Amino acid sequence: MLEITTTRHNHMIDPILSVWGWEIPVYLFLGGMVAGMMLISGYFLFKGRYKETNCSCYYLPIMSLVLLSVGMFALFLDLEHKLYVWRLYTTFQVTSAMSWGSWILILVYPILLANMLMSPHKLIVEKVPIVKKWQEYLLSKPLLIKNLGVVTMFFGAGIGLYTGVLLSSLGARPLWSSAVLWLLFLISGLSGAAAFVHVIAKNVYERELLAKADNAFLIIELFIIALFIIGLKTATEVQAHAADLLLFGEFASSFWVFVIGIGIIIPLIIQLLAVNHKIHHTPIAPLLVIIGGLILRFIIVAAGQYSHWFALN
Amino acid sequence: MLKFKEWFSHHHEDNAMEGHITQKHYTNPYLIGLLLGIVLLSTFLIMGRGLGASGVLSTAVSVAVDKVAPSQTENNDFYKGYLGDGTKNPFKDWLTFNILGAVLGGFISGAISGRNKLMVEKGPRFSKGKRFLYAFIGGSLMGFGAKMARGCTSGQALTGGAMLSVGGWAFMIMVFVGAYGMAYFVRRQWT
Amino acid sequence: MTAPLFKFGYFNDEVSLIVAFVIGIFFGLVLEKGGFGSARMLAAQFYFTDMRVFKVMFTAIVTAMIGLFYFSWVGVLDLSLVYFGETFLLPQLLGGLILGVGFVIGGYCPGTSAVAISTGRIDAIFYALGGMFGIFVFGEMFPYITDFFYSTAMGKINLPELLDINYGLIMLVVILMAIGGFTAAEWAEKLMANKQSKARG
Repeated sequence: MLEITTTRHNHMIDPILSVWGWEIPVYLFLGGMVAGMMLISGYFLFKGRYKETNCSCYYLPIMSLVLLSVGMFALFLDLEHKLYVWRLYTTFQVTSAMSWGSWILILVYPILLANMLMSPHKLIVEKVPIVKKWQEYLLSKPLLIKNLGVVTMFFGAGIGLYTGVLLSSLGARPLWSSAVLWLLFLISGLSGAAAFVHVIAKNVYERELLAKADNAFLIIELFIIALFIIGLKTATEVQAHAADLLLFGEFASSFWVFVIGIGIIIPLIIQLLAVNHKIHHTPIAPLLVIIGGLILRFIIVAAGQYSHWFALN
Repeated sequence: MLKFKEWFSHHHEDNAMEGHITQKHYTNPYLIGLLLGIVLLSTFLIMGRGLGASGVLSTAVSVAVDKVAPSQTENNDFYKGYLGDGTKNPFKDWLTFNILGAVLGGFISGAISGRNKLMVEKGPRFSKGKRFLYAFIGGSLMGFGAKMARGCTSGQALTGGAMLSVGGWAFMIMVFVGAYGMAYFVRRQWT
Repeated sequence: MTAPLFKFGYFNDEVSLIVAFVIGIFFGLVLEKGGFGSARMLAAQFYFTDMRVFKVMFTAIVTAMIGLFYFSWVGVLDLSLVYFGETFLLPQLLGGLILGVGFVIGGYCPGTSAVAISTGRIDAIFYALGGMFGIFVFGEMFPYITDFFYSTAMGKINLPELLDINYGLIMLVVILMAIGGFTAAEWAEKLMANKQSKARG
């Protein structure tokens, strides 16, 4: 889409915006996952869990790097003027969420690379021997690692909330003009990432911890969705209509069944039973959480584009 | 990291922590029948229709045929019935959501009862390969028969049975006749 | 009269899909709890070793039948708005026979195969693939068997109308049949258990 199109006085935006395809939701989802993974990885660094050799903080940064690049590639595919993407980095506009986002995304890369210094791949050490020195320096300074953890968490949270702010800043769409959308995307990213790390974690303690954390995130997510809906319902008429799209309108079946049912409540029940040792841990519940997170982005983007300011006749 | 095989069983490391989770017995059949009857009755009261299971497979087949050879579905009322008028996704249907729920409900129940396990259902004297072949053949007959009869065990026998439908009862009696008649010839598969 | 709720416009099509999902969850739970996720358990019906299929099906039919009658009698439910299929006698008799044969060979029926797949039964996946193949064959044959498919049409008809007997009386007959069937099923199970223990001897 045209990058300047943020108000409804532009071409292609009224009454229904229908220019965003699969790229944006996929990017928002991957951005959220990376945000959650950075928060988890940063937290483990901060708590000193890196002393355990199988700590997930050793492989989460590289995974985040790959996922983020895939997400940014999807975003790039969506750009109207692909060749001018570099121009985003010739300026910084305080009032533009897009400008904030592009800068945060660029800054995240060196942070993730610094995280990867904790245990660089053998091949890289062979090719660039100086990396070994940097690694030794980093490992000899526990306070530095603690601070790296804090910075990682900070920027992780930055990406997570930015994915929501990006939509909120588009005032022309009633469904997105909510003050909790960023919180919803951040917590959804966290729950997805916790589920993902729960499945891949090699460390048993981390696995148990993340299953419990994921349950907490899912419960909080339910509350935030409720806040999101209540906020819209009690705002202007157009926003109440936008909320109805999710509650019993065009998107109700996908919203209730896939986001609330399959994405939150059912995995929550399964994981609550699992952490209480009533049933075995299986990757089914985490998988449902991740699918639910992806569908949430698709529905918010699609329903948001569909929601509009005046009645269609 | 979890392996695919463990999807339905459990982590080895957790064994010590979790203790042994035993497989529970199946619930009393009359109680289950009562509960199934209540589920069916609720469907009647809420929706004014019964349950159904084979419709989803028909939708999937119709969509697939329509994708591969659209000319095939154009002149075929059977496929057209499942594709609808094209204004909405054929999968956005009552039966699809019903079966989706059943799949998840079954999973939850199996997890709680410790019965979720990757395995093949067969008698001890029967090979896996042959079991897969028989399952496929049996499935094909079921698919064909269900379409011929306009419904399967859920749609015709249960729903039609409770509504005292003539077709439902005729269908149900013939299901038992067919199954008992065939049982002797495939006994090695099960016993 | 307020039920069926959907037919009286209490909620729209979108919400009906959510209802479908929730009902489906209970459907799946009950089927699995009853042992219907296991092909061996289902097939045992046809060797008289475990008559669960019969017991569950008939208890369910009787329960729903009495419930329907009760709610329509007290005036909550408009029975004429509850959908059930029209009767086409010959195709339904033949379809039932084919499905029955497929049931004992394949080990499942469509609804139970969904539960079997979600609890990890690999053979159920083959069964569902077979089901789709069978439907495909039916679809391709449909233009040639259309006449048979619509033959012996009897319309939307139920047993009381067919036999011209009071609805309540038919219900009584069904209930008595069910009780008789349950007694016979319990007896057959005991007989088979004795036979098997003797054979092991």
